[in-house]
This record gives sequence, C-alpha cells and structure tokens, in this order.
Amino acid sequence: MSIQYAIASESSLIVYFGSTIDPETSKAVQKAYKALKEAHYEGFFELIPSYASLMVVYDVLRYSYEHACDVVNTCIENAKPLEEHAQKKVVIPVYYGTEVGLDLELLSSEKNLSIDEIIALHVKNLYSVYAIGFAPGFAYMGEIDAALATSRLPSPRKSLPKGSVSIADRQTAIYPMQSPGGWKILGRTPTAMFDEAYEGLSLLHVGDVVSFEPISKAEFLQRGGVL
Amino acid sequence: MNGFIVKSGGLQSSIQDAGRVGVNDIGLTQSGAMDERCFAYANLLVGNPFNTPTIEIALGGLVLEVKGTLSLAITGADMAPTCNGKALRLWETHTLHEGDVLSFGFASSGHFAYVSVAGGLQTPLRYGSFSTSIKEGLGGIEGRKLIKDDTICTSGCVLGEKRRLQKHYIPDFPQSITLRVVKGYQETLFDAKAQETFFTCTYTYKGEGDRMGYRLSGEKVIPSVSGILSEAITYGAIQVPSHGEPIVLLKERQTIGGYPKIGSVIVVDCFKLAQLQAGGEVRFEAISLEKARAKAQAFYTWATF
Repeated sequence: MSIQYAIASESSLIVYFGSTIDPETSKAVQKAYKALKEAHYEGFFELIPSYASLMVVYDVLRYSYEHACDVVNTCIENAKPLEEHAQKKVVIPVYYGTEVGLDLELLSSEKNLSIDEIIALHVKNLYSVYAIGFAPGFAYMGEIDAALATSRLPSPRKSLPKGSVSIADRQTAIYPMQSPGGWKILGRTPTAMFDEAYEGLSLLHVGDVVSFEPISKAEFLQRGGVL
Repeated sequence: MNGFIVKSGGLQSSIQDAGRVGVNDIGLTQSGAMDERCFAYANLLVGNPFNTPTIEIALGGLVLEVKGTLSLAITGADMAPTCNGKALRLWETHTLHEGDVLSFGFASSGHFAYVSVAGGLQTPLRYGSFSTSIKEGLGGIEGRKLIKDDTICTSGCVLGEKRRLQKHYIPDFPQSITLRVVKGYQETLFDAKAQETFFTCTYTYKGEGDRMGYRLSGEKVIPSVSGILSEAITYGAIQVPSHGEPIVLLKERQTIGGYPKIGSVIVVDCFKLAQLQAGGEVRFEAISLEKARAKAQAFYTWATF
C-alpha cells in the first residue's frame, strides 16, 4: 500500500494510508499512530488519527517538513504489527422522532424514502468506530447503507443539541455535546457519549462495534433524554 | 488573599495560556490565547514564563475588584482600562491594591486584550493546560467564561520597578489585513478559477466567528466536492463548505472535520486575524513553506526565550 505525505501547514503534515473507509486502511492508521505515540518523539506535539490519515503537528524550531516526514516514515516502516483485541459491542438507544431528527423530512424528500425506511436503513447495519475526534467523545463510524449516503448541509448549523445522531457521506456519528455541526440529524440518544469518567473521555473507542436500537419518546425521556 | 473578584464578566472573558498539547487525539481542542503575540508580551512585561495563564478579554466589559496587592500588565486591544476611574496605560506594568477597581470599556481597535499578573493566576491545570475551552466546559473557572462573583487567586508577587514595552514593539490592529497561506492539504479540490478568486478577492469578516474560527464573506470559492473523508484539522486551516465562504479555524477548533481545505493561514497571521473586528477586510496571499516556517520560528524563538 502506498503512503502519501502532504503539507497541512508550516507546522503540520498529514499522512494518507488510503482514501476509503475500510478496516485495512484503519488498521494501517492505528498501527502508525501507536508506533509514533510509543516512540515519544520530542517536538511532535500532536498525533491525530482519522479514517485513512494521520496528522503530525510538529515543533517548527526542531523540524522542517522534510525532516518530520523522514522521522515519521522511518517509524512507520519499523512499526510492530497491531495486537488483536476482542471487539467491544455497544448498543446505542436512539429516539428517531421528527422533533429531534431535524433532517428526517429533508432526507425523506431527498432520498425518496419514507421516514420509517430511513430509520430501518440506519438501524440494520453494524458500525465500526474508525476515529475519535471533532470533539471529545465524537466517534466516527461507518459505513451506512449506500441508499442513505448524503452530503453535509451546505452551511453548518450553529448549534446542535447534545446526543444528536447524525449522518454524512457513508459515516454516522453522535454529537456528544452541544456544538455546531454540518451533518444531517436522524434522532437523539439519551446515552452520554462524553464523560470525564470514561477512558479517553469517550464511551466509544476505535475498533468498537456499534448498533443502534430505536426507542420510543417515553423511553428516551425515562432514560434521561432531553428534548 | 491576593487576586480578583469579578464584578462583571463582560462579553466573554476567560483564563487562557498557550493551550493544550497532545490531547487532540482524544478529541480535545487546543484552546489557548487567540493572539499569542499579545499574550506573550503580557507575560514578558510582568516577568512570567511564556506559558503562564492570563485573563483574555474579548471586546471588553470586564470589571475586577482587587484583593491584596498585585502587579499586572495589560496588552492587546485597547479597551480603555481604568483603575478607580483613572486611565491605565497598556503595555506597561502597574501595581494595584486592595479595593482598587479595574474596569474595561470596549475595544476601539482589536478584539482581544490580555491581563497578566506577576507570578501568574492560581487556577486548576486540566489536561496539561490552564486554558478554558468553553465548548468542552473544561479548564479556567468551571470551564466557562468569567461571571460576576468569580474569584481568581494570584501569587501576591509585586514588582519593584515599572516595566514598559518600547513603543516600536507595540502592535497595531488594522481593520484591513493580508493573511499568508501555506498551500497543501486539498488544494487540488479547488480549480484554477476558485484559486484565483480566493487569492484576488477581498473578504469581509462580518462578525460570524468565535474562538473556534472566523467565517469570511465575499466572492464564493466553490470546491469540486462538498465533503472529504473526515481528517485532522490544523491551526489556521481554511475550510470551505459548499456555501463557498472560507472559514479559518482557530484555537478552539474541532480536531477533525470533513470540509475541503484550500490551505492554512500561517500561525503568526492567525494572531492578526483573531484581532479583527466585525467589518474588517481580509485578503489572502500564498507564501512558501520555507518562508512560513521562518516566520513561525522567529516568533517562537522570541516568545519562548
């Protein structure tokens, strides 16, 4: 597999391990991330993995772009294989009502599907967690059914409620806290995705497997959900 | 006790240092001072190390009552600060005493001012930084902006002599700025026409922004795709959603995102952008990676000396 390096700024580079959402690419990213993290290179301020890429933010006083690329490349080439872990399975309850599923009606007309069909498509898949980011506890999951694939909103919403269950392209995710966001919203979960008591602040971790379980409005409220 | 009692928090005042490091991989934002240059001058004046927490004031309105005795300096946007109604000069140290009232008006130019106190502020360290991240409810005072009746303790260190920044070092905050851009990232997702538009047009900051980033209005720059596979976002990254208006991502940005990016504003120019008030004008100009690195090296060599 070919690895590509790109300039992100005068103090950061990004390494691409592929261009698709798939387990092999994700494993290559995780392998490189773990190797770089464990190497504790001085002057590498941030290592930020995602689906198919890894960003390295470096100290400009210590590294040029070329030098940083060399260090990253040597480390990746010598990286140990990933240990296999048992996958953790997590079920996330979701209330898929139109009062919280802000884009259900928009998607229904865009996809020419009924709201029930949209919900059924979102619920039927098992999803893998590919990255944590955007905000603490925000887990990027894939892939949603191709029939549901959708663009981001042309202009991000200024504020989305905590727990909003969303989709964009072939990805799905839950907004762990009130924040701006451009993904389309299908429903809301009462489950806390972000908590300081969680390991790494997040309920979900890369490699976890997630399924969504539709719940009623009454159950949503009973489990502490907020409309 | 030495320190401050907040009498009024103003629009948005918060505790900020140079920000968090090594936490983006768990989704925590960098945060930190929006204008690191003015932040650095504030600490330099009172003899603090570079990465010492300060009070960052956005636009103004902060009123503080002094407890005990302390030495401080105010830098950045001129919010016409007063002590007991008497004007206090920026860019120099002052020693204030029990009961003094330090009051800020609203910025005539610039957006952010910094108050440093000799010996620093005594607030809790969270994930390696004193910075407040308002979105995450983390750091500073209960993870939020300052409000009436907050107490901020300081060390009680008092400076023996007055210190003043030489006039020619004092930055100004023009309402028309040029931001230098390192190309890279998804540059190729913007065709020649979009690139030409981006680098020749003047954009206006209409006040659609906060510590996370600033959206600029002007001629549309349309990327060839509406989204990319979500990936990490660096400080200064210029993301362009399909509405075609560039958003420059700043200190409290999200760690990962999926809008295409045309390049990144160089670090030292992000400080200039942060100081823009609504109505300010922005132009973009490409800079080579080597020159951009030299600018950042010059700043950090000086600031972290």
